[in-house]
Amino acid sequence: MNCQGQLMTQPPPPRPHPGLFKRNPPIAGEAEAIEAAKRGDGEAFARLYDLHKRRVYTLCLRMLGNVSAAEDMTQNAFLHLFRKIESFRGESAFSTWLHRLTVNLVLMQLRKRGLNLVSLEETINPSDEDTPRRDFGSRDQVLAGSVDRVALERAVAALPPGYRMVFVLHDVEGYEHNEIASMLDCSIGNSKSQLHKARLRLRELLRNPSQLPQSPLPSAPAESVK
Amino acid sequence: MTLPVNIDFDSLKPEEFEHILPDLFATVDGKVSQDPRLKKFLAANPDCAALVSDLEIIAETARSLFEPVAEPSDRVWQNIQAKLQEDSALASIDDDYIDPDAPID
Repeated sequence: MNCQGQLMTQPPPPRPHPGLFKRNPPIAGEAEAIEAAKRGDGEAFARLYDLHKRRVYTLCLRMLGNVSAAEDMTQNAFLHLFRKIESFRGESAFSTWLHRLTVNLVLMQLRKRGLNLVSLEETINPSDEDTPRRDFGSRDQVLAGSVDRVALERAVAALPPGYRMVFVLHDVEGYEHNEIASMLDCSIGNSKSQLHKARLRLRELLRNPSQLPQSPLPSAPAESVK
Repeated sequence: MTLPVNIDFDSLKPEEFEHILPDLFATVDGKVSQDPRLKKFLAANPDCAALVSDLEIIAETARSLFEPVAEPSDRVWQNIQAKLQEDSALASIDDDYIDPDAPID
């Protein structure tokens, strides 16, 4: 798999994405803040930062797994945003546009650090230790119908970087396989395969929660999905 | 990897099921357990059914992680403001720039 493809630091031409639109409904006052920010209004920048800082930072933290790197990346993403905001034409949700920009910046940094090559190769040719076991598991080891969000967050943090990237992009952020394939410069089949392996690994990790590391993310309310 | 067209779901073996599972998840919008073609197979293979159930629960719980839970420190906004002010200062220097070779009115 070639993972050296071109990455855009500019958001791509906006295009509809039903999943993300559903998850990114318009925010009151956002449109006015965007227009004011395009005119260089500092207070509007502050408003946009306030509206989106948590989501951007959480995404960075989840993908990078490190508070300091995530803060630097958040800073970088908003600087890109504010410097290029006049190119936002409103054809997609602003948060979708900002998310895509952030994801691209994170991927670019991971590639600069050489982590992507290692991590994505790992997921294609994983070592024995990294490969999710292919057995279906005995039924007394199933997840008992629910998963604790905090435990899942910790399990995600424990994934190899390549698995984590695809899992976060697809299952958390809502990107489709064709979009992930485009972003990671890999095939759609590879994206599906990586996601499946990531879920299998998470299943293994969640069966042994006592062995999970601490997540860099703060504890969310310990709700579980049934 | 795409789902083979001529799958005989009635005679599917667990290892074949495992092979096509990533595609099944992608083609039925993550609801493999509700795919009518697999009803008999999953009933006859409870370990496969348990695997499907677990993976669906993981994917469903993951969607709940979309809501942000972390907040950057104040340092991030301070740095952004400082950089934007630098940009602004540089822009005003550009505006004030006088070309030494320009003719004097």
